[in-house]
Amino acid sequence: MPTDPDPHRRGRSLRAGAAAALGAPAIAMGVSFLAFGAAVAAARLGVGWALGASLFVYGMAGQLVLLQAGDAGVMGAALGATAANARFLPMALAIAPWLGPSTGRRWLALPFIAITPWAAAMRALPGLLPAERLGWFLGFALVSWTVAGAATLAGFLAAPLLDAPLLAALLFANPLYFALLLAAELRNGASRQAILAGVAAAPLALVLPAAWGLLAAGLVGGTLAFVWGRHGRA
Amino acid sequence: MAGPDLALLLSALAMLLLRAVGLLVAGALRPEHPLVAWAAAVSQATLAAFVALAVAAPGGAAASVPLTARLAGLGAGLLAWWAGRGRLLPALLAGLAALVAVRGFG
Repeated sequence: MPTDPDPHRRGRSLRAGAAAALGAPAIAMGVSFLAFGAAVAAARLGVGWALGASLFVYGMAGQLVLLQAGDAGVMGAALGATAANARFLPMALAIAPWLGPSTGRRWLALPFIAITPWAAAMRALPGLLPAERLGWFLGFALVSWTVAGAATLAGFLAAPLLDAPLLAALLFANPLYFALLLAAELRNGASRQAILAGVAAAPLALVLPAAWGLLAAGLVGGTLAFVWGRHGRA
Repeated sequence: MAGPDLALLLSALAMLLLRAVGLLVAGALRPEHPLVAWAAAVSQATLAAFVALAVAAPGGAAASVPLTARLAGLGAGLLAWWAGRGRLLPALLAGLAALVAVRGFG
């Protein structure tokens, strides 16, 4: 592995990633984690629990399963949250080759692989030099992670001031942001097939247990799109 | 350790494991490898299904927002995204504003 001739490149790419995370990604993420913080307060769990869920589970579907687990028991709650966030495995697999030439340094990205940084990185990283990619991802991810934690804390503290209709509206920010990201991906043939197949498979989630439904829809839709794409090229 | 704390700890460990298995399996594969392409398709399909469900059949507190308001928010967001040539922030704000406005009239 040759040494990077530009020692400032890493810092520059880190700052560029951080700048890209501000704006729409930070707002979409901020408002949904704010709503989560308030929901944790309403469920009478502690602020430490709220921050732990946001920073270390760091995937809203799984966080909500954990919060709403009720009498599912410890294993039921943990398994449900894991199934709801099982997308982290294929997401990590898909992004790994884009995280720069060093397979060792990629592990720095481990805790931050979640939808928002993943979706942004899958768009941005192919256009960057290999030596810049990990720095960009870490810059984006650290800002997103900080926003998630700060917004959770703010939501927890401000819970008494936030009414239920406002919180329900804020919960829509995240799916809307993802819808806009997907709209941008519709131009790309392989992505278009995966997106359409995912929407078509979504009703599966309505007939399966809540925690497993999203995983099943993604697996079925994504695999069909993959087969469709390869078959179409053959 | 109380039940919710233990469930959180186990979930956090499981999340690290899911991500670690993904990075390990990827190893030194190139982006064009079929396994990587399959994983990307599954990830995008999951995201698309998540959005479709959040709009058509949300769970929890979001279900209290009427379907017309959710559809208006999505429609306005996409329209503003298209009119703004792909700018995300104005589109996001337009979508949320439409949702709140339509719910207010509901």
